[in-house]
Amino acid sequence: MATLLQPEKVLYLVRGEKKIRVPLSQLYFCRYCSELRSLECVSHEVDSHFCPSCLENMPSAEAKLKKNRCANCFDCPCCMHTLSTRATNIPAPLPDDPTKTTMKKAYYLACGFCRWTSRDVGMADKSVASGGWQEPENPHTQRINKLIEYYQQLAQREKLERDRKKLARRRPFMPQAFSEKYGLGTRLQRQRSGAPISALYGLSLKEGEDQKEITIEPAQALDEVEPLPEDYYTRPVNLPEVTTLRQRLLQPDFQPAGASQLHPRHKHLLMKRSLRCRKCEHNLSKPEFNPTSIKFKIQLVATKSKFGVNINTAPKATTHSFPRQTLFTLSGLTITVLQCVLVPSKELVLSGKDAAAEYDELAEPQGFQDDPDVVAFRKSNKIGFFIKVVPQREEGDVTVAFKLRHDFRNLAAPIRPTEEGEATSEAIWLTHHVELSLGPLAT
Amino acid sequence: MPLFEGLGSGGEKTAVVVDLGAAYTKCGFAGETGPRFIIPSEIKRAGSPEAVRVVQYNINTEELYSILKEFVHLLYFRHLLVNPRDRRVVIVESVLCPSHFRETLSRVFFKHFEVPSVLFAPSHLMSVMTLGIQSALVMDCGYTETLIYEGVPILSAWEALPMGGKAIHRLLWLMYCLVFNSLLVFVTDSIPEDVVEDIKVRTCFVSDLQRGMKIQEARFNLDGSAERPAPPPDVEYPLDGQKILHVKGAIRDSVAEMLFEQDNEEKSIATLLLDTLVKCPIDTRKVLSENLVIIGGTSMLPGFLHRLLSEIRSLVEKPKYRDALATKSFRIHSPPAKPNCTAWLGGAIFGALQDILGSRSVSRDYYSETGRIPDWCCLSTPLPDSVYEAGKMPPPLMKRAFSTEK
Repeated sequence: MATLLQPEKVLYLVRGEKKIRVPLSQLYFCRYCSELRSLECVSHEVDSHFCPSCLENMPSAEAKLKKNRCANCFDCPCCMHTLSTRATNIPAPLPDDPTKTTMKKAYYLACGFCRWTSRDVGMADKSVASGGWQEPENPHTQRINKLIEYYQQLAQREKLERDRKKLARRRPFMPQAFSEKYGLGTRLQRQRSGAPISALYGLSLKEGEDQKEITIEPAQALDEVEPLPEDYYTRPVNLPEVTTLRQRLLQPDFQPAGASQLHPRHKHLLMKRSLRCRKCEHNLSKPEFNPTSIKFKIQLVATKSKFGVNINTAPKATTHSFPRQTLFTLSGLTITVLQCVLVPSKELVLSGKDAAAEYDELAEPQGFQDDPDVVAFRKSNKIGFFIKVVPQREEGDVTVAFKLRHDFRNLAAPIRPTEEGEATSEAIWLTHHVELSLGPLAT
Repeated sequence: MPLFEGLGSGGEKTAVVVDLGAAYTKCGFAGETGPRFIIPSEIKRAGSPEAVRVVQYNINTEELYSILKEFVHLLYFRHLLVNPRDRRVVIVESVLCPSHFRETLSRVFFKHFEVPSVLFAPSHLMSVMTLGIQSALVMDCGYTETLIYEGVPILSAWEALPMGGKAIHRLLWLMYCLVFNSLLVFVTDSIPEDVVEDIKVRTCFVSDLQRGMKIQEARFNLDGSAERPAPPPDVEYPLDGQKILHVKGAIRDSVAEMLFEQDNEEKSIATLLLDTLVKCPIDTRKVLSENLVIIGGTSMLPGFLHRLLSEIRSLVEKPKYRDALATKSFRIHSPPAKPNCTAWLGGAIFGALQDILGSRSVSRDYYSETGRIPDWCCLSTPLPDSVYEAGKMPPPLMKRAFSTEK
């Protein structure tokens, strides 16, 4: 089978926003629209979160609170490996009797890869194995929150103004004096979206508001900036002590320059993705909740729909103008008529053109008079047929493209309740554009 | 009167705030104090060994669309872990971003990810929001360019210089090639850019004014009479675990001088600031010069701010600026975030204002009706109402005073 290890040999054309050619293994089949879908024409959604090291599922509400970070696992700030908790015994005085000492367990974090430990940064050992480690807080949090509150107040005012204008506009029978009082004038345009951000600053706190006003001190500019220390020019640089850019950017709030200030961070979660057809909004792929399970709740992949073309044997090196026989295997649900459309750019001698051989996949392979020139073999629901290919050019790769048309019985689709109450599904005809690459021409 | 609800306690979900920079992208949620992730703005493709940069302005739309799609996919499903359909998006971007990039980006967001609305926020304006002041002069020293901008209410003068981290990298790389050639060291493969960036971050710094001046003189002096100040000690930088790169001390401090050297047009980063001040209306100059804000990753080099201030102060004495600028006092703000995240923080603060975020964003319906996003340099978008009423200021002059000179 040519396509297991080289999936790019048989490509299907998917008409989404633009035409893309993808092997069947990367396609999904929406059985409600009865069309092939590729990853580009489905919408991806986040399904569930889990930690990659402890494989614990985290509900989305909790993930949002914890900022998509696991509560138990840490990342080494130097090499981003997962940290492990190690325990030592340290002598500690008994609470009752300070003179006697007993061994107590103390825990610290250590990296198995780069040998970094939490003691390098000055973090004290904790007495509990998990839950004792805290990430440092951003010192500017207070100021930023105050700024947000202040601006939210301004935003509220702007919204009020807008609403008031809207209400005023809805009364066209307003007397002239009234409109003048509000100062609306004749230039009543709807507020355009996407406007440049400017007027927020114009909204100073208006007088007459009896709500509590949140004022904010504007930031003070500094006259002098600290210069580099004198010994900077002469001090030798200890390169392992200086953090690399990557290590700094892992902690955007602090970005420490010295390695002695690199604190470990909680491990970032991964997510499982579910796919949804854009047209009919049905799920095409929905994974299981359990992070350790690789199964799917819904898995409408194209290979399961059991139609496909594989190249069975392709003879090597066809020369120009010499028709050669290529054996194709076709497997499908129910193929009634195979019609081949001659692709005008290539001159194909398709001997299977009139092969209107009727066959049903469930029936025994008897009674089928197959033209031995057309059909090579038949096995359950597979059939092998020949196509003669005449390459048009002297060199290059040979590509055969044809349209494969077959009928498809949608056994699993939701049955519309008919009056008879019978569960018959109709066969619909599907057409796929298939491209097969047979390899380079040998001279 | 709607009661003031806390963030996330019902109502809309928090918006996603993304700052797409040329070198690094900061992404996170509105209302938070810092971005969740700062990741390099590149994607790895199966074909090529090198990563592909996301923010490229010269490639054709299809290619850009697929690169942006992959990148935004990574942002949502590996870093932010949320559904794109649920949350509004605030994109903090530079004003000089070409319209075609902005339109491709909004097409990715609207058509492929189906976000409810998108807001493009200028990065300089957002940085001023983190301070609580009304106007400031913001300088963004980033990767590809250094850009100056004025805060609200009037955006009139801007200046830019294509000199930033990328230029430093290139200079460092060139210096290395020279050093290697002169020492006849055989280098089998060239140094990749992230190694150069690492060398820059860890070993380079900006010297103060006097020292910097001496280094510049020594470099340009042809007869060798100027003395170069003693270089800092060398650093041994391990490469690949096998080779060791000797970072000469002379390279460490002279690389950053490039930002402050005045080229043929006598432009350097410091002159950018002063030129912008000259362009501004006279009554605003004092306010602006006392409210300087410096953002951008390149400004995090040790010694940068101090050097910049001293350069400005010394340049103000020069005849070119002495008559033009009456103000002599310069003050720098320190925003409540690191300089590379300040613009992001402003975007996050703005994104937390749920009352007006909706009205100021481009919604998906508007986009599907008109097929394009309003741009500040596009005259076909009518100005909003609020500009005329809420403030008592004249409408922004940006459409007329758009200066075409850099």
